[in-house]
Amino acid sequence: MVRWKVYKFKLLVASVTTLLISACSSNNEATAVKVDKSTTKTIVNSILPSAHAATYEQISITAEGFKLGKPASNEEIAGWHIEVGHGHNLPPGEGTAADGEEMFETLCASCHGSFGEGVGRNPVLAGGEDTLTDRQKPERTVGSYWPYASTLLDYTHRAMPFNSAQSLSWDDTWSISAYVLYLNDIIEDEDFVFNAESYHDITMPNENGFIIKDKEADTSNTRCMKDCKDPKSITIKTALLGYGSGAEDVVEETAVVEGHELGQKIYDATCRLCHGTGLAGAPKVEDRVTWEHRLQEGINKVYKHAIDGYSGQYGVMPPKGGNLELTDEEVKAAVDFMIKDVK
Amino acid sequence: MSEQKITEKGKSSVQQITENENTTSRRKFLTQAAATTVVASGAAVASSNLPPNVPSWQRTLGKPVNTNPYGQPSKYESDVQRRRVPWLTPDSIASISFTPLAEIKGMISPNGLAFERDHGGLPTIDPKQHRLMIHGLVEKPIILTMDDIQRFPNVSRIHFIECPANSAMEWKGPQVGRLQFTHGMTNCCEWTGVQLKHILKEVGVKPEGKWILAEGADSASMSRSIPMEKALDDTLVVFGQNGEALRPENGYPLRLLTPGWEGNTSIKWLRRLEITAEPSYQREETSKYTDLIAPRDKNKQDLVGKAYMFSYIMEAKAIITFPCPEKPLKDHGKYVMNGLAWTGTGKIKHVDISLDGGINWQEAELNGLVLDKCWTRFSFAFEWNGEELLIQSRATGEDGYVQPTIEQLREARGVASIYHNNCIHTWRISKNGEVESVQV
Repeated sequence: MVRWKVYKFKLLVASVTTLLISACSSNNEATAVKVDKSTTKTIVNSILPSAHAATYEQISITAEGFKLGKPASNEEIAGWHIEVGHGHNLPPGEGTAADGEEMFETLCASCHGSFGEGVGRNPVLAGGEDTLTDRQKPERTVGSYWPYASTLLDYTHRAMPFNSAQSLSWDDTWSISAYVLYLNDIIEDEDFVFNAESYHDITMPNENGFIIKDKEADTSNTRCMKDCKDPKSITIKTALLGYGSGAEDVVEETAVVEGHELGQKIYDATCRLCHGTGLAGAPKVEDRVTWEHRLQEGINKVYKHAIDGYSGQYGVMPPKGGNLELTDEEVKAAVDFMIKDVK
Repeated sequence: MSEQKITEKGKSSVQQITENENTTSRRKFLTQAAATTVVASGAAVASSNLPPNVPSWQRTLGKPVNTNPYGQPSKYESDVQRRRVPWLTPDSIASISFTPLAEIKGMISPNGLAFERDHGGLPTIDPKQHRLMIHGLVEKPIILTMDDIQRFPNVSRIHFIECPANSAMEWKGPQVGRLQFTHGMTNCCEWTGVQLKHILKEVGVKPEGKWILAEGADSASMSRSIPMEKALDDTLVVFGQNGEALRPENGYPLRLLTPGWEGNTSIKWLRRLEITAEPSYQREETSKYTDLIAPRDKNKQDLVGKAYMFSYIMEAKAIITFPCPEKPLKDHGKYVMNGLAWTGTGKIKHVDISLDGGINWQEAELNGLVLDKCWTRFSFAFEWNGEELLIQSRATGEDGYVQPTIEQLREARGVASIYHNNCIHTWRISKNGEVESVQV
């Protein structure tokens, strides 16, 4: 509990002049501030009539609370109360994997792949069963890793699709979640109706795979100061000289896919969000007809719109796809990649 | 040591590496990352400005006062910036930028350089339309405006924030050969805000309320479950950063701050706190930010394939920020090694330095303030005459915990654990003064 110092000070009209001066100076006596007494008196009279020369006291602010803010109504809470808990706070509505398949293909597959296998470096949603004990490359997917299906419902509704969060209805959320569980063989019947009641019939394979980490550290180094190890035991591992297969794995896991063209890498990182889905009127990569139409005005115009941005009858293209870190050449490479089947 | 060649566009090598990663093969990236060095100054200094000549800027009138109403760094510091590793994340929206630790001059990260992790991009929030809702297992659910929040008693505290993925690329071996990328997912600022316990008092938490779901107003609605014990301890609801309003990248206009804990629990753009009886098992505390382990320790084989959940605390870590790959040694002679250490459990007690890869250690000096859950500066004077060195720093917290070696971490967790790699780091200084990231 914070202890608040209580100050009491009486303000008398006669002493206000001194107070005003001392407020402007750290040293009351040595002050260089000149005060026109008649002016000061006028001001004091106008802001602090003698009848109000009261006792002020700093209040205790922790004792009673501040009573700030306004009460939140049930309606206001309902609009923002989006999370889905494990076995509670389950949302209304329902859906089946069969319902979810088409939505998944339209809204999710451009990043996660038609089978949840992940496109580029986007999260893999399905598979990976029995890989968690793999010391080098465990695959953490919804099926292999996630402990509760509630998290899938929650996150799908909360944050997906990546480019239009909170756009899915609860029915859509149940359907798409059912389809992701279907891709993981956790829901086996595509017509299984997934809802708040049947939620309890689903068991996630890795539900018991988690341990709450206690506060004790899991390493116990000592503060050795002299001759702490045998000099002969020291081997130097560098990224260049190689760390056996390990370093290769790291790179593979965190990153670059060798052999990718520059354009595709740029596309994957920046463009696919819209050009993979058709968002904001963006021509999809496979949409040859639209691309041919755009290219009638010449490739330089397409480059220009990609670099400088475009807003008009066809939709909206932010400059460099919104990634201003890209060079013009990189943007052009991405355009070339997208139209490679058209040219 | 020869001066670094200035690349064609006048950019530094590191910029070339990061920006042009897409034109660079992985092998080339690694080569450059490990071998190139940056010499920011001294490239093309006009000799007419050196003694005995009077510099040109002394003979001409300067710019008017307040030319930059919001001050900017010198143009000669344009190389000092946050950077991304483009291939690290699937896209540039749900991504991360790294603090340039080699360029940090004290125990505070300037606001424009403080690392940023966004899970659904950077939102642009009008503070007049921003609200904090507090509800759930409470007597009186409320909605607060930014004005309301700033009427509560507020405090200023200096704390580090570190992403648990800091150094995550190094579990299997050295991969990203620059300090900015091996350790730059951390910042340290003076944060100004309201102790959460004061705000919770307003709503009246019911006895069964043991957890708080904190949620952001970004497009990921980034969310984590926080135990009530932490909320009532030192958690802040923050609106100020290093003396000004929070920067958008760090949560403007309002964020949570859970000192010493995984950075992502300090929810940015905070819009909602729900008091609950149980954790909410959000995606970022089940699918992500959990530590799948495969201990090598023979006595812990039953844990292979299990995962730690709610591993909130960022354990002690020290890193040498000079010399480092970005800041090599240039000449023989005396140097002062500098670095930063921090721990999520309290204050730093000791930092020790080894020059021989961990065989012998000597205690470094702690410089300046030593604060709770805060970057602490350390220094160590040494003389270098061209010998190869393997330099390391090792932090000990006031709780007695000693920063582990990478091998000790692998014994405890294997190599595929991703998060919470706080191992002792090794820089190799070669005969020509260049510095390379290695593991021993």
